[in-house]
Amino acid sequence: MQAGSKKSSQTLSAGSANVVELANISKSFPGVIANRDISLQVARATIHAIVGENGAGKSTLMKILYGLHQPDSGTILVNGVLTQFKSPSEAMDAGIGMVHQHFMLADNLTVLENIILGSEPTKFGVLSLGDARKHVKDLATSIGVEIDLDLPISELGVGQRQRVEILKVLFRGAEILVLDEPTAVLVPQEVDELFANLRKLVANGTTILFISHKLDEVLAISDAITVIRQGSTVATVSPKSVDRLKLAELMVGSDLPSHGKRATKVGEKVQLAARNLTVIAKDRKNPIQDISFEVFESEIVGIAGVDGNGQFELCEALLGLVASQGTIEIGGSDVSDLSIRERLDQGLAYIPFDRHREGLMLAASLWENALLGHEASLSRGPMIDLISAKNSCREIIERFGVMTPNELVPAFVLSGGNQQKLVVGRNLATAPKVLIAAHPTRGIDVGAQAAVWEEIRRSRDAGMSVLLVSADLEEVLGLSDRILVMFDGEISAEIDPKSATPQILGKYMTGTQ
Amino acid sequence: MIPSKNFKLYVSILGALAIISTVRLWTDQDALTSSSTIGTALRLTVPILLAGMAGLWAERCGVLNIGIEGMMIFGTWFGAWGAWQFGPWVGLLFAILGGMFGGLVHAVATVRFNIDQVISGVVINLFAFFGVRYLSELVYVGKPGGGISQSPPQKWALPKFNLPILSGGEIAGWKSSDFLGWLESQRWFILGDLGGIGRGLTHSISWATVIAVIVVPVSAWVLWRTRFGLRLRSSGESPVAAESLGVKVNHLRYFGLLISGGLAGLAGGTLSIVASSYYRQGQTAGRGFIGLATMIFGNWRPSGILTGALLFGYAEGIKLVASDSITALFLFIAAIAIVFFVLSIVRRKRSQILVTLVVFILSAVAYRTVSTVPESLTQSLPYVVTLIVLATANQRLRPPAMAGVPFRPGEPH
Repeated sequence: MQAGSKKSSQTLSAGSANVVELANISKSFPGVIANRDISLQVARATIHAIVGENGAGKSTLMKILYGLHQPDSGTILVNGVLTQFKSPSEAMDAGIGMVHQHFMLADNLTVLENIILGSEPTKFGVLSLGDARKHVKDLATSIGVEIDLDLPISELGVGQRQRVEILKVLFRGAEILVLDEPTAVLVPQEVDELFANLRKLVANGTTILFISHKLDEVLAISDAITVIRQGSTVATVSPKSVDRLKLAELMVGSDLPSHGKRATKVGEKVQLAARNLTVIAKDRKNPIQDISFEVFESEIVGIAGVDGNGQFELCEALLGLVASQGTIEIGGSDVSDLSIRERLDQGLAYIPFDRHREGLMLAASLWENALLGHEASLSRGPMIDLISAKNSCREIIERFGVMTPNELVPAFVLSGGNQQKLVVGRNLATAPKVLIAAHPTRGIDVGAQAAVWEEIRRSRDAGMSVLLVSADLEEVLGLSDRILVMFDGEISAEIDPKSATPQILGKYMTGTQ
Repeated sequence: MIPSKNFKLYVSILGALAIISTVRLWTDQDALTSSSTIGTALRLTVPILLAGMAGLWAERCGVLNIGIEGMMIFGTWFGAWGAWQFGPWVGLLFAILGGMFGGLVHAVATVRFNIDQVISGVVINLFAFFGVRYLSELVYVGKPGGGISQSPPQKWALPKFNLPILSGGEIAGWKSSDFLGWLESQRWFILGDLGGIGRGLTHSISWATVIAVIVVPVSAWVLWRTRFGLRLRSSGESPVAAESLGVKVNHLRYFGLLISGGLAGLAGGTLSIVASSYYRQGQTAGRGFIGLATMIFGNWRPSGILTGALLFGYAEGIKLVASDSITALFLFIAAIAIVFFVLSIVRRKRSQILVTLVVFILSAVAYRTVSTVPESLTQSLPYVVTLIVLATANQRLRPPAMAGVPFRPGEPH
């Protein structure tokens, strides 16, 4: 492999048009065909986007390219040389670097230590920190990144951490950069900065593979777009020749479900109310300060805002996970002094921010996950009624279209979208009065997103009140009857979605208004 | 101009010296900073320091090591056996090997078989205790002076030395001056204390002490300045990230635990070879756990661990050498508390104001009313000191992020 990479760097100067050529790649895991006969050509010094729904096989394909998986069949040409990577380090030797969606950084180590880790410049085993520092500084400057190399990662923001990841890969001499959903964690301004860095990188001769399902961003940044659906390549198109809708059609395979105007009316009765709600923090600004709002029957109120402006604390306070001052009413009765369990019994349901941390037991079976929170109704005395529990899980699987062989598999085998459908289904199955939905479609594909939206709409039409917390403006605009914008722990604006635009929302969300 | 970190450090050291010197002169308790107290403190510091460093190496590579106590027990037994058979140097080597055996067991259990790290550590402690008892029965029973709970006495002791000129060391047979001893005997304010402390640190020093102290900078250098060290730390901070960069996390955890076990074994060896001349059951007396406490106190850094170990050593030393002086220590604590009390008022840290005030009142009252401290209380002094320091130090603890979390390479994360 070492020899292969050497040879490839020679052919590089010869200037072959395609840096990466994947031909007829197939890969199956037990029970799933992840990639089926995928072919892909990536031209030098371009940004090549790979779009597709979650579970379409994008990540598997990239992992094959990066040596994390081996293909069942097919060939990989890097710089015109036939290669077969057995491990990521072999891929790295051939100049391929990957920036994972979940950052692979050690929080307590410094920026410099994180960047050099694994390919440290040394003299007799002793780190040559001076050389390393200079090299990293040069790299950072060349792509327009400014960063303090001696800070521990824990003190950096998400955007800067991503820069560290990119520098890390460049430090290893990567000429081909694979970015897995790089914008999923960034706010709009950070996305612009990232794109500026990427353009500089491409200008320096680097080739970028950009995995995403955010179509607008893909259209904005890439030179070529390959669409993958159900494990196969559907088409490779130029961003100039397609628009968003066309791309989405290619991805989903059918027309996008339209947002549609609602046929039912917002009710008269207040189902969820917060009055002067404040969460006190000891050593910092109160995360939420004096928040008041009402959600009527059969209404969806969207909470828009950049993450970290108090949305999380608001949800936890409403649910009773953190202590708060002020009053909370559900269905007209004061629940401020009630426990979480009692609030849920009043008809409250919660789709949590992070399905892995708060929503699911990943190693437990689907039926056990579906049972969570409903143990009382699915038990006989102290014993769980297994038959009813499994039946109820099967109902959720069917009604919400969770793609799974059965209800007995552990939750971690499902793709993100299907996990989320299960979480949503669990909370909607019992027809709650009030639903708090926090990022209900974060990180899931367009198809699953449409399904979740449809279910929320259907429950709303049946009278459910929804507090929808989301950073995805499209989601907030498309679903909400009213939008509240949160900034810095307070509600900074109430906006009618019919007259709102992402630009107006953006201003309130960033506190510029 | 903002005073530099070093400047602050020197000022606080000088301040503490001035306070303890005042207390010494006021209460007439010369033992507070006498060379014999400091020398004893240093000897008692060594095993705790090594145990703390053993904890550091284990946790930096990502494995909790509750089994340090057990590895120390291996160290005491094998060290004593080696010293009894072949002399003290070989004894220390055997102590290290014995500890490494414990470290290897821990590594195989936690890294290879993914056994819970706490459970494995506890099992090693129990196994060591009964294992060496069994070995004693095989080897020591029936030998002169030996038995099931102790080894025969060793014939040779490890050499000790005095620093020439400063503490009366010999240069080629000529006995040089004992300058620090003279300074100590003058009892001057601060200078007398400096003499006592300096002589305690340089007079009648065992080579084992020198080795133990050298472990600190060497560990720091290896962990923070070499490729091996960076990779080892990355295994404790983020094994997933490390693996993704081609670092062999589990190999490094084996190395880390072998070093950890070796240091714990050496700690045990100093107890059975240097601090005494035979192995005795229960010799470690929980020092492995105190070592872990100093590791936390020292914020998982070698210099911090040295500081913590010295603190424990001093508290234990003064208890041994001059238990009468402990009442004087109450005055010292009261004086320190009042300094921090004033500082916390200036800095407007409400919780600190309260804590320091309470400490001040308690220690002042204790000084005025207590004439003798019961043995059981003096024995808890090191722990009391730790609690006070932990409560007031207001430091930001930064343990390795993934210490204690099992890592299975190649699994989806």
